[in-house]
Amino acid sequence: MNSVNPLVPQKVTLLEIAAETPEIKTLRVAGEGGAPFDFRPGQCAMLSLPPVGEALFSITSSPDCRDSLEFSIKEAGSVTRALHALSPGQELGLRGPYGNGFPVETLKGKDLLFIGGGIGLAPLRSLINYCLAHRAGYGHIDIVYGARSPADLIRRAEINKRWPAAPDTAVYLTVDAEFPEWSGHVGFVPSYVSELAFTPENRVAVTCGPPIMIKFVLKALEELKFTPDQVITTLEMRMKCGVGKCGRCNLGSKYVCKDGPVFTLAELKTLPAEY
Amino acid sequence: MIKSINKAGLDRLWERLAAAGPLYLPVKEGPAVLFRPWAEGAAAALDVTQATVSPKEIFFPRDETYLKFRREGEKLALAESGTPAGPAIAFGLRSCDLRAVELLDLVFRGQEPADALYGRRRENTMLVALACGQPDPSCFCGAFGINPADAPGADVMAWWDGDVLVMEARTARGEALFAAAGELLQESAAGSKPLAPATAEFGLPLEDLPERLKSRFYDPAWDRLYRGCLACGGCTYFCPTCHCFDVQDYGSQERGERFRCWDSCMFGRFTLMAGGHNPRPTQKERVRNRFLHKLQYFPENFGRFACVGCGRCLRSCPVNLDIVQAIRALGGETVEQR
Ligand code: SF4
Ligand code: SF4
Ligand code: FES
Repeated sequence: MNSVNPLVPQKVTLLEIAAETPEIKTLRVAGEGGAPFDFRPGQCAMLSLPPVGEALFSITSSPDCRDSLEFSIKEAGSVTRALHALSPGQELGLRGPYGNGFPVETLKGKDLLFIGGGIGLAPLRSLINYCLAHRAGYGHIDIVYGARSPADLIRRAEINKRWPAAPDTAVYLTVDAEFPEWSGHVGFVPSYVSELAFTPENRVAVTCGPPIMIKFVLKALEELKFTPDQVITTLEMRMKCGVGKCGRCNLGSKYVCKDGPVFTLAELKTLPAEY
Repeated sequence: MIKSINKAGLDRLWERLAAAGPLYLPVKEGPAVLFRPWAEGAAAALDVTQATVSPKEIFFPRDETYLKFRREGEKLALAESGTPAGPAIAFGLRSCDLRAVELLDLVFRGQEPADALYGRRRENTMLVALACGQPDPSCFCGAFGINPADAPGADVMAWWDGDVLVMEARTARGEALFAAAGELLQESAAGSKPLAPATAEFGLPLEDLPERLKSRFYDPAWDRLYRGCLACGGCTYFCPTCHCFDVQDYGSQERGERFRCWDSCMFGRFTLMAGGHNPRPTQKERVRNRFLHKLQYFPENFGRFACVGCGRCLRSCPVNLDIVQAIRALGGETVEQR
């Protein structure tokens, strides 16, 4: 159903729902012809489950995967709770894609440093898999990813096997505290980034995670001499329309749904810190 | 083309025009004057300076269902729904109302994707502007270069000449109104012109204001300005350029509908996120957002102030926290005191 009213969702079917962590599930959906639309890594879409409502999520699958779309969703409110309770076969509403997405063109030829925390890996994953699928276009890839505990790390198959095995790619995992089953690095993501001492030459850092993590990651990167235009992050706001009209997701004159969610630190510095 | 009609003939004109579709007119409803579809016996309050709630609700109703759903087990049926927006006439808009429509157009029609709900109504509605004879003491449209006697964008411009309503068709659509009214309208005596009343500008320091406000986001003036605000949302509800809305579902697991309704950036939950974080945690940030949206953000995006000086927020705020106060508090030196 294609509508001239951009608020009207189209119908998709839930193909698969998998628990990533106790709080996060990944939902895979498709329309009749597979992924219902083309998109760029970092873009979002609005999932709807009437009568509970709609909510905006970043698309975690890569645009190269055309048979379905994936969303990793953390339970936080009524819509996410209802989404978590679904079983495959359920039909849902979907509209999008929304937002600017990551600047895949300007990232070409650069070394990439991905820094994620918790559910924040979800938007990064779309870009990581995109870059790996177009490997020749991008330089060395480093992925620093952490969570509170080993059980809170998502996309385990990728972070443990697929990505470390990918060409010219390194993965650094960390958890906030000691756990008996964990033999890897222990410590917060920002300090791990400082410890690993990434150099800023020809490198762009892309970070996403809880606000407190982002705050300290930005500080760490600054200390490592990354300039504000070498740092990219994504923002989250409450959203209703997704198309810059309902008025609730603005940072100054920018609407996160339309002009974001991806901003360089240089851009963020020109906007009110209302996020 | 200029035609006219005597006041005494207006009821017949309303009846004729309303036959083809809704004819929105300012009518008294309790203590308020609202734009409502004319119905037999309704008295048009054309003498009232401004409708209490701005006529934006003709194009952007307070609430509007646009989707119906049915669920049966796994199956979900989604169907677009809503009131068909056929031809309509909005009669009696003031110059400030017209300017506000122009501004809402920028948001709803001027950027992709266009808003179909607003766009359909807007396209199918003829706009008849009525020159303002007596601005309210709270009006300051002059500050935004609005002429109460001339409303660009109107299909028909109307004005009073004593007891005669003179109408000038300015578009083909306006001429169609004349055709529909037929013999009810008389050829008009040449030379009648709307009298432009004196308008107020309140000496507001608007020059370069968007630019100057850029450096005042963290200004201590905000700490004083917001204090009285009750978060009632009245200002945004009455404002002709406010366009925030909410989207909600209504119904049971089996069937229901989705609607949008006016919302307000003055409400605490407006930006409250599902996880509990609120980027505008206190009324200060909300008040600041409302005024900066009108005076800085909208100008940055569209090159226009999102205020038309209608004075509705001056008249409706229970604690006199209005945009004039904000401009004075943040705009620098004032030229004169109101
Ligand atoms: S801000 Fe106040 S004066 Fe300006 S258009 Fe809105 S209600 Fe009217
Ligand atoms: S500024 Fe006045 S009208 Fe607006 S929400 Fe506050 S108290 Fe209500
Ligand atoms: S979600 Fe409506 S303006 Fe951004």
